[in-house]
Amino acid sequence: MNPVAIPPGLAIAEPMPDVLPPVSARRGLIGFLRRYPTIAIGGGLLLAMLFVAVFAPFLWTKDPTSLAPALRTREPGAEFWFGSDMLGRDVYSRVLYGARVSLLVGFSVALFASAIGLAIGLFSGFIRLADSIVMRIMDGMMSIPPILLAIALMALTRGSVQNVILAITIAEIPRVTRLVRGVVLSLREQPYVDAAVASGTGTFMIMWRHILPNTLAPLTVQATYICAAAMITEAILSFIGAGTPPIIPSWGNIMAEGRALWQVKPYIVFFPAVFLAVTVLAVNLLGDGLRDSIDPRLAKSL
Amino acid sequence: MWAYIIRRVLATIPVMAFVALFVFSLLYLAPGDPAAVIAGDQATPDDVERIRASLGLDRPYLVRFGEWVFRILQGDLGTSIFTNLPVGHMIQQRIEPTLSLMIVTLILAVSIAIPMGVVAAWKQGTWIDRAVMGFAVLSFSVPVFVVGYLLAYIFALELDWLPVQGYTPFSEGFFPWMENLVLPATALGGVYIALIARITRATMLEVLQQDYIRTARAKGAGQGSILFVHALKNASVPIVTVIGIGIALLIGGAVVTESVFAIPGLGRLTVDAILRRDYPVIQGVVLLFSFVYVLVNLGIDLLYTFLDPRIRY
Repeated sequence: MNPVAIPPGLAIAEPMPDVLPPVSARRGLIGFLRRYPTIAIGGGLLLAMLFVAVFAPFLWTKDPTSLAPALRTREPGAEFWFGSDMLGRDVYSRVLYGARVSLLVGFSVALFASAIGLAIGLFSGFIRLADSIVMRIMDGMMSIPPILLAIALMALTRGSVQNVILAITIAEIPRVTRLVRGVVLSLREQPYVDAAVASGTGTFMIMWRHILPNTLAPLTVQATYICAAAMITEAILSFIGAGTPPIIPSWGNIMAEGRALWQVKPYIVFFPAVFLAVTVLAVNLLGDGLRDSIDPRLAKSL
Repeated sequence: MWAYIIRRVLATIPVMAFVALFVFSLLYLAPGDPAAVIAGDQATPDDVERIRASLGLDRPYLVRFGEWVFRILQGDLGTSIFTNLPVGHMIQQRIEPTLSLMIVTLILAVSIAIPMGVVAAWKQGTWIDRAVMGFAVLSFSVPVFVVGYLLAYIFALELDWLPVQGYTPFSEGFFPWMENLVLPATALGGVYIALIARITRATMLEVLQQDYIRTARAKGAGQGSILFVHALKNASVPIVTVIGIGIALLIGGAVVTESVFAIPGLGRLTVDAILRRDYPVIQGVVLLFSFVYVLVNLGIDLLYTFLDPRIRY
């Protein structure tokens, strides 16, 4: 600053003391996590589960499919940490390997449903002619309860993890499409989009540069909820025998196999159930935290 | 208003048509050749062809779709591959338990969730609010069959208060009927309660900030009447919408709950049909559930015009 010449007869007042005590604003990842503890808790739990899934073979597990009929339905103890099922398989190992299926299905469905729903939503929000047709189809798909839709699709195909992912993805697409379309419809009325149109930007560029980035925040939140819903749906499909084939240990399968014995050996159902619930809770907490961090106004009401 | 009602009713036609097309395609695309199955092992290819022609399976997709819709409209849902019984008949036999379960769940969920949401909004930011919201997140995360097993383990096996499994028809008395439905309805209701409580709280928070609430308070209306009469009435539209949308959760959840509690309803029928690949039955159940869902939501949309006279379309 340039020194200002003080006219004679005037004096500069002393600077006022700070009324507010200095706050050392925490920045970076730590500060972010402290402000949104649900992201920290949810993310932490999810990372832990991811670790379990990736490193399942090294976490003192046995072969999750090896049978030992002589050692069937052992109570949880030193040899079988979570007990053994009616075929003598180690429930601890099966539950840990089961995390792989659950996370794979959850993440894949979230990714595919978001990507496809985003594409359809952008297309439908921008091209009026397509909009009414696409949205009628989406309304039709949404009028079939999602689990029933997934069940019906699974009935057409062989049970496999890929088919489970495909069936749940199809069932989730309409909701993403609606969300994206809603955002697109409100954004295209914004002055900056008008400005872009006026300056001669092509439709595709407007979508790519001006609309798409604004849909990503709500889409990310939606994707976490889809991930949670997909993990539950996978478990339900496997539980009723229309999902992951029984040869692959998934939490739904383990529970389905424990179902016949659950009154006498409840632990076979109990352990996968707890893992499933904790994982889904982690994803939901992460989603709630992300929603709050993206839209603080919404956080107060929801 | 009548114009709106007619338009809204007409708008369900494309949706229903899509559902019908989807469900028909399910059977059309289903693996396996019905003609070959009926012809048996000894049949020559000519026999199979003849049977296929006599069943009309050689005609084009749209023609078969048209005929199928025509039969559905006459109430003919086809015949089960497995039991050889008409699907309509099988559904009729199994509908009572499912309907009972859904109605009890609906009543239970609405009567718990709405007060929960109202109180949470009233006590916003306190431990009550946080408990309600915590319960909601938890309910969204624990699958219905896990809650089912947990409840059955505690209240049926350990405490022996209620039957573990099964279903007693309503005709054998209210209490035996209810006894079998309490646990399944509670398990099934969890997610639904969370959903309704959350939307109730969110809408109430918005309504409670309105001027007329201050007016009501200023004129000396009691807290209860402010919350449940002045505010809740004005918050009812989004709440009722979510109750309608949530029926989808009930339908999906019923399939699983009936498996857990061995209730011989439509859910059980669906699961059995999938395990046996009994496509006509799967088709019939999906069609029925989807149409019920569409009609319930149509009814709710029409209800708005009565609930909220401000709504004019």
